[in-house]
Amino acid sequence: MRSARAGFLLLAAIVLGCKDDGNGVGPDPLLTATPFDLSSLGQGVVGDRFTAELWVNGNTAYTTTWGTRTVNGVQARGNAVKIWDVSSSTPSLVDSLIVDGATTLGDVQATSDGRYLVVATESAGSMVIYSLTNPRQPTLVSRFTNADIANGVHTSEVQSVGDRLYAFLSIDPRGADRARLVIVDITNPAAPSMVFSQIMGTPFVHDVFVRDGILMAALWNDGLAIFDIGGAGQGGTIANPIQLGTAVTLGGKVHNIFWFRDQQTGSKRFAFVGEEGPGSIGSSSVGDVHVVDVSDMQHPKEVAFYNVDGAGVHNFSVDEDRGILYAAYYNGGVRALSIRGDLGTCTSDQKAADGRCDLRKMNRELAKGPVGLSFPVYVWGVHFTGGKLYASDMLNGLFRLSPVPAF
Amino acid sequence: MSADSARGPVAAAGASAILLGTVASPGVNDRTLAEGYVTQPMVMAMLASRSGRFVADLALNFEGASLKRGELNAGVHGEGYVDRRHPHTLLHELVGTGIFAAGPARLSLTAGKGFVPFGTDDPMSRPFVKYPVNHHLAQLLERAMAIAAASVGPIVVEGSVFNGDEPTGPYDQPNYDRFGDSWSTRATVRARGLELQTSYAKVKSPEHASGGGLDNRKLSASARYESNGRYALAEWARTKEGEGSTTSFTFRSMLAEGSIDAGRWTFAARAERSERPEHERGLNAFRTPQPHSDLSIIGRTRWDILTGSIAAQLPSYRKLRFSSFVEVSTQHPRSLTSPAVFIPAEFYGAERLWSFSFGGRVGVGMQHKRMGRYGVAVYKKMEAPMAGMNMQEDM
Repeated sequence: MRSARAGFLLLAAIVLGCKDDGNGVGPDPLLTATPFDLSSLGQGVVGDRFTAELWVNGNTAYTTTWGTRTVNGVQARGNAVKIWDVSSSTPSLVDSLIVDGATTLGDVQATSDGRYLVVATESAGSMVIYSLTNPRQPTLVSRFTNADIANGVHTSEVQSVGDRLYAFLSIDPRGADRARLVIVDITNPAAPSMVFSQIMGTPFVHDVFVRDGILMAALWNDGLAIFDIGGAGQGGTIANPIQLGTAVTLGGKVHNIFWFRDQQTGSKRFAFVGEEGPGSIGSSSVGDVHVVDVSDMQHPKEVAFYNVDGAGVHNFSVDEDRGILYAAYYNGGVRALSIRGDLGTCTSDQKAADGRCDLRKMNRELAKGPVGLSFPVYVWGVHFTGGKLYASDMLNGLFRLSPVPAF
Repeated sequence: MSADSARGPVAAAGASAILLGTVASPGVNDRTLAEGYVTQPMVMAMLASRSGRFVADLALNFEGASLKRGELNAGVHGEGYVDRRHPHTLLHELVGTGIFAAGPARLSLTAGKGFVPFGTDDPMSRPFVKYPVNHHLAQLLERAMAIAAASVGPIVVEGSVFNGDEPTGPYDQPNYDRFGDSWSTRATVRARGLELQTSYAKVKSPEHASGGGLDNRKLSASARYESNGRYALAEWARTKEGEGSTTSFTFRSMLAEGSIDAGRWTFAARAERSERPEHERGLNAFRTPQPHSDLSIIGRTRWDILTGSIAAQLPSYRKLRFSSFVEVSTQHPRSLTSPAVFIPAEFYGAERLWSFSFGGRVGVGMQHKRMGRYGVAVYKKMEAPMAGMNMQEDM
């Protein structure tokens, strides 16, 4: 079955890779031939600010903003959350939130019940919670800050552990203060309370992934660290995580993680790591996707990788029903990878010199996009939800893309 | 202010400061900014054995108190400041040096906190009040270091180990647990007032005090001339930032400057082309988070700068020395990346920036020497006083 699919993908790559894009736009050297294209179905233009993270909640999308953009003499900070109507193919801006005292809003996420929106702020660190009683008009519920997070909240991952809801805040280093991970109980969003705070990461902790009582932290050059917070039976709790194991992926710079649970087989063998190398925001980037076998959490091990020449990876979103990972690839757009099955076993021809399997050589690369545009993109984030795929582009705004078709 | 006795050590001390007014137009976002400062307030002391074989140098810098917001200085960047010069650390320099003879060679060992043997002289000891953009490309300072130097005839070779981390604030100390993670070497040939140097430094994670940031590989070459009231410097510097042998970013600089004394007047001019990284700025447009929240930059900008200065020695009052100066500079920054996130003309509100500075220097006792060289690397013949920026030790 696997070889039949691989054969089909190879054939499709040969056929589709030769097609004319029909728009008179020359081939992008970063957009190497893939079986499918992620075409732009519609774009919501943002020209006043740089766009950052996105989250889609039903027919409403939220995009955050980053840094300072000056257009025609007007300077705009990254202090806005843009609110979009995404009920049609073309996102339509309906409103904006302004978060006082922020220069960058690096992360946004709605709670799984869709009732609240959580926003992370830099460079003055805080976590802001809004009610989504009216999703198009969020209202402030609370704003949490303290000395432990004041240096800047880079990301805020919202997940349930047991019957309580937590925000996992990745805190920036500042001056002599080192990076740290802070966990805040937001079960009562009107009264957040810190339950854990610890220095982590060298020199950064940029993101975490939480599932089934396991915390995976992206600790940059310290690698991917796995903690029991109640799900591994090792005595760990949310207030006292117990480290189970660490995998330092090749090149370090572990920025983000997605622990894949195959909805078809139930397998939870692989975690995907985004490596964020040093790039020039807006124009260049570097860093691979690393595949870590976490079946033995005491001894996780990198087994495979995916590289795009001339571009680096940022955030992920995964279609777990179909086993497709969508990766924001900054100036390389968005890439889709087939991640179902055994990624750690490959032929000698499919291995890199260091022994890791190369997902590209394994024909795991399914699609790239957005294709056919006449302007450069710099994609920060992706979100696959409800069968729809969205991408936030720092330079141009919000795209809805066609996801990988059935194959 | 020197103490001297027939058998005891030689001691000297001094103090200096600059009362400065600066108008930057535009400073940022098409706004003209006018500010005043007490800049470069220093107290210096030196203690030496009568033979000159053992020397201790101390320099305290009080910019942490007088220059907390930074000094308007378009193009300058570093230590969390941008387009403002950052305050230096209180304990600017505290080093001890021993000098020894070994056959035809003279050797020296230096240890303490101070200037790493790399690149050219500190801008504080040069004819202009405003720093060049290349300060963090062409000098390494305020590190805990150990230096070994040897001179034979006109040739001097220095090598050092030091801590890579830059200060994180004016009252910060070097991370002593990082001592020895970085190194530099410098070779100098000098004769008849002319000095040629080339140097190389490998600096571990300078911008991330806890480590894990990009490393710097720095190269510098310069020619310097000083004699009879004439001074000239031409330098080239390059810094490669990356990990191991991988280069992520490269920043280059070329600079030429000179001055000439005419009676009590000193005329000086400088031309510079330097590249700098751009980083996301905070709520204060002149500050960047330090360290940055990742390893990326938001672009590279090339700065072309012309500066002219006129300084005049004023009559002294008792032991106080005075001079006044006027300095004019024009800067033309442009982005070297595309698509550009940082577009200088948009950010500043103009393609060409101007800076006007004026003020006075006051000093007493020991004056600035050439900052950045110790032991046998000090070239006594080149330390003639220069109007407005005397550099002679009062030994």
